[in-house]
Amino acid sequence: MLSFLIARQTGVDEPVRLRRAESTRRVLSLELNHDRDVECIHGNGINTIDIEVIEGRYMLSGGSDGVIVIYDLENNSKKPHYTCKAVCTVGRSSRYVHKFSVETVQWYPHDTGMFVSSSFDKTMKVWDTETLKPAEVFQFEGNVYCHHMSPIARKHGLIAVGTKDPKVQLCDLKSGSRIHILQGHRGEVLSVKWSPRYEHILATASTDSRVRVWDVRRASGSLFTLDQHNGDKSKASSESVNTAHDGRVNGLCFTDDGLYLLTAGTDDRMRLWNSATGENTLVNYGKVVNESRKGVKFTVSRGCSPEFVFVPCGSSVAMYGLHTGELVTMLRGHYNNVDCCEFHPDYQELYSGGKDCNILAWVPVLRHPDTEDEGAAFAFEWLLK
Amino acid sequence: MNRKRTLMPDAFRTKKRRFGADNLIGNPEHGDVQEGPPDVKATLQYLMTLFPRKLFNDSLPQIVLKHQLYSLHSDKTLVDKQVNELRDQGELLMFQLGFDSDTFALVFSVDYRAKVLAGEAGRATLGTVEKFLDKVLPCCSDLSFSKDKMLKQFLFTDAEITQLVKSGVLTVRDAGSWWLSIPNSGRFTKYFIQGRKAVLGMVKKSKYNEILKTDLEERRTTSHVKLHMKYHVHDIIGAELVECIQTTSGTLLRFVDT
Repeated sequence: MLSFLIARQTGVDEPVRLRRAESTRRVLSLELNHDRDVECIHGNGINTIDIEVIEGRYMLSGGSDGVIVIYDLENNSKKPHYTCKAVCTVGRSSRYVHKFSVETVQWYPHDTGMFVSSSFDKTMKVWDTETLKPAEVFQFEGNVYCHHMSPIARKHGLIAVGTKDPKVQLCDLKSGSRIHILQGHRGEVLSVKWSPRYEHILATASTDSRVRVWDVRRASGSLFTLDQHNGDKSKASSESVNTAHDGRVNGLCFTDDGLYLLTAGTDDRMRLWNSATGENTLVNYGKVVNESRKGVKFTVSRGCSPEFVFVPCGSSVAMYGLHTGELVTMLRGHYNNVDCCEFHPDYQELYSGGKDCNILAWVPVLRHPDTEDEGAAFAFEWLLK
Repeated sequence: MNRKRTLMPDAFRTKKRRFGADNLIGNPEHGDVQEGPPDVKATLQYLMTLFPRKLFNDSLPQIVLKHQLYSLHSDKTLVDKQVNELRDQGELLMFQLGFDSDTFALVFSVDYRAKVLAGEAGRATLGTVEKFLDKVLPCCSDLSFSKDKMLKQFLFTDAEITQLVKSGVLTVRDAGSWWLSIPNSGRFTKYFIQGRKAVLGMVKKSKYNEILKTDLEERRTTSHVKLHMKYHVHDIIGAELVECIQTTSGTLLRFVDT
C-alpha cells in the first residue's frame, strides 16, 4: 500500500492505479457488518433494488407486496453503527400503489426527482418523488417483467419494456407515446438492458433461449443474436443452434465500460459475450444455480481490476472473477432466496435483497492490525528503548 | 485472531502455502488444486489410466470426459482453452455422447484410429472407414456433419455414408446430419450412467448426505459400478453434482440438491 502511495506521489504510477488496487482489495474483503443495517419495511420479499447514480445516496427497493421504499444510505450520525432509514414509502395505503408485485424499479438516470416502476399488475408507473404520485401510467396486456432506461441517453428518453408479449415495447418519456416495438423474439421477454456505452444499443433476453442486440434507430430487426457455439453448428443438437443458453435466458448485465455483456440462463450457466461482435468469450464460470421463473438481477463491480460479478445463487450471493471465471467467494447471510443485488461504486459496497424481506449491506472489512503485528510492534518499541 | 482469512489481491499478498491433508502439489493423483498453468495433457493421460480397458475386451479406446478435468484443475477457462488447442493440433478428438448436451468425451486421436481400424479389420466397410479417417478427421474438428458437407465437401456417396453409420463411426443426429461417434461405445455409456447413479446414491445415503472422498474411494462397489471408482468420483466432482469442501480430514463431498 505504501509503495502505491509513493509511486503515485513521485509520478511513477498513474493516480488511477492506486484507486483500482484499493477498490479491488476492498471488494475482495466484503463481509456482513453488524454496524450497518437497512431498515426492514417490506412485509414480503424484495424483488429489485436500484441505487441512484448522481450522488449514490438514495436507494429504491420494490417488493412482492407492491410496496416501493426509498432509503437514505448516507451516514449522518457520528456513530459507526448506522441503520439506513427509509425516507418515504409508497405503501399499501397509498391510492396509487401497484396492485401486485413490483418487478423492476429504476431511478431516472439524470436526477432523483423521478423514478419508474413496473409490476405484475400490467402497468408501468412514472413517479414524482416529491409527491409520490404517478405522473404517467403505461398500461400493457401482459405481466411486465422488466424495464430499463438508458443511463447515458441524451437524444432520447426511451424506456424499453419486457413483458409477456414477445414484442419489446419502447415507451417515450418525452411524448408519452409507445408505438415503437421491436419484433423478433418468440417467447416472453425476461430482461432488457441498454448499453452503457452507446445510447441506441439495447440487449433483450427471452424464454425462447435467445438474446438479441438491437439498434433502435434501425427499421428492420435485431443487429445480431448471441450464439453460444459461436457459429459452430456442429457442436449443438439441432434445437439449440443459434441460442445463447440451453434454457430460458433470464439475466442480462453489461459491464461498466459496455464492452462485455453477461447473460445468465436456467441451464445453470453464465456466459460472457463481446458486446460489439456477439462472440462468446468462452469463459467458464461452472454451474451458476439459476431456477428463477422471472428475471435474475445481478451486477458487476465498477472501478476494480480485475472486475467481479455478483450473482444471486440460491440463498447466497456468488462472487466470480469476470474474465477468469473462478468462484472467489460465496456471500452467505440471507435466510431465503436472494433475488437481486446492487453494487455501490463509490464505497465498494454490495446491497442484496431477497425473499426473507431483508436488504443486507456487504461492507468491506476495515484494516485492523493483527495480534501478531501488535506483538511485533511492541517488540520493536522495546528494542528501541 | 482474525478467524476469517480475508482474500487479498496479488498486489498486497505475501504468498503463504496452505497445508492440508492432501497437499502434494504437482501430483495429479492427490492434488486437487495445482499451482501454475495447468498441464492438461498430463492430466488427461492420468485420467486415461483410470479407464478399464479389459471390461470392453480392448475394443474401445480410452475415453475421458471433459468435465473430469475440472475436478483436477481450478481454472476452468484455461482448461477449456488448452483442450481446444489440442483439438486444433489434431491430437485430441471430442465427441458428444448423447445423454447430455453439455457432456463431451475426449479421446486421443492415435488411440481412436488404432481401435477403429482394429475393429474394422476383415469387414467390408474397412475401406470407407479408412477413407473417412484419413480425409475428414485431420482437417475438420467438428462434432457433427451434415449431409451437405459429406456429399459436397468430402465427396462421399450415400452408400458410403450408410457404411460409415453401420460401422459405428457416425451416429444419426437428425434427418440429414450425423454425430461423430466411437464404435461400440453404447456399452460404455450404459455402464457410465449406471455407475454415476450408483455412486451418487452412495453419497445421498450417507449420514448428512456427505462423505469423505477417501472413504468413498475405498467403499466396496456394487455390481452396478463397473468402471473405476476414482473415475466416477472425478466425474461427479467435475460435473458439480457434489460440492467439494476442504476439511482437516481431507476433502468432503456433499450432495448438491437441485
